[in-house]
Amino acid sequence: MTASVAAASVDELRRNGLCWYPSGQAGLRGPLLALADGCDRAIVSLAAIWDASNERHPASLPAARLQRVDYLRSFPHQASLSARLDPSGLAEFLAGEVVGEHGEVTLTRLSPIREVLTPAACYHLYSSREGESFDRPLYLTTRNTCFRHESRYEPLRRLWSFTMREIVCLGTKAETVAFLQRARAAVDEFLRLMDVPVEWLTATDPFFQPQSNPKYLLQRVQPTKHEATYGGDLAIASLNLHHDHFGTAFGITRDGAPAHSACLAFGIERWLFAITQRHGTDPQSWPQPEDAAQKVRARQ
Amino acid sequence: MRSEREIREALHSWVLSKAKDLDSSALTDKTPLFEQRLLRSLHLPELLLFLERLRGEPIDVDDLRPGDFRDIDTLVLRFCGVQVSP
Repeated sequence: MTASVAAASVDELRRNGLCWYPSGQAGLRGPLLALADGCDRAIVSLAAIWDASNERHPASLPAARLQRVDYLRSFPHQASLSARLDPSGLAEFLAGEVVGEHGEVTLTRLSPIREVLTPAACYHLYSSREGESFDRPLYLTTRNTCFRHESRYEPLRRLWSFTMREIVCLGTKAETVAFLQRARAAVDEFLRLMDVPVEWLTATDPFFQPQSNPKYLLQRVQPTKHEATYGGDLAIASLNLHHDHFGTAFGITRDGAPAHSACLAFGIERWLFAITQRHGTDPQSWPQPEDAAQKVRARQ
Repeated sequence: MRSEREIREALHSWVLSKAKDLDSSALTDKTPLFEQRLLRSLHLPELLLFLERLRGEPIDVDDLRPGDFRDIDTLVLRFCGVQVSP
């Protein structure tokens, strides 16, 4: 079964507060906004299983930082660059059309681009800890609006900008493996209480020219990504084992060795799709994510 | 055609050439290569080419499966099994 969105359901989602933009972005109001906030609070509640610290980070990351993990070579097709008009060319810019008939900005010179809009919330957690050492595992959670260009967009399913909430473990190899095991059990229980059935599938990241990318090859032969997949094709959460990839790239050490890391990531808008398709578009029929999360915490 | 022993020795030497901190006595045909981080992702393209040379035919990346590169035993059986002679 696939869970592709039908035109009729988009209309129903609009009545529940979805503002959909062809750029691949969604605005939320009313019942859908309340459900999104409830989902986010529920995941924060799950993060308390590990007593995770909540963090807030900027909208973009320095390109030079992202390149420590080869982001722009691995995902150039998805990168959203933060561009600025060169101040020395503003008079020329204003003398022009400014915005063309097809909605395109009529560019003059741009300033050097040094920032990339956040592609994954957890990158900030590693980048902001560059050079740090610790002697116990760190459990963290953060939420950010993430940007990934796609070849096509679908309301609440495939977006250019979307909300990602993550729970992250930085520690030894054993600590990250234990974290993922416990995280999977917690998500399974949460999904059961929410009555959102999923299938866990191994997955690879959407690398550019994957067949020549060593990281893609490694993910094929040694899976590190498992996705909770709703309706056969919609990943609403993922478990990711990074080994010491980020620890090495950012000089983060645990007991003198590069720290390992792992994350549990949720795409909030996709949860809205799964819940509304599973339980209907009447908000009265929606499950209560925070109640479900509290029950999971109580049983952990 | 290379014998199975020659293939195993070639893979053994290749792994040791990449995992320079590894004592040769610690590397067996069942040592997990990537799980123990003896090899890294950056080694994979070169390892694929090396295997293609050993077996004398290309490897389709789309055919790669989890566990295919686990250890030398797996590499020999998965990629060089047909060509191995006694």
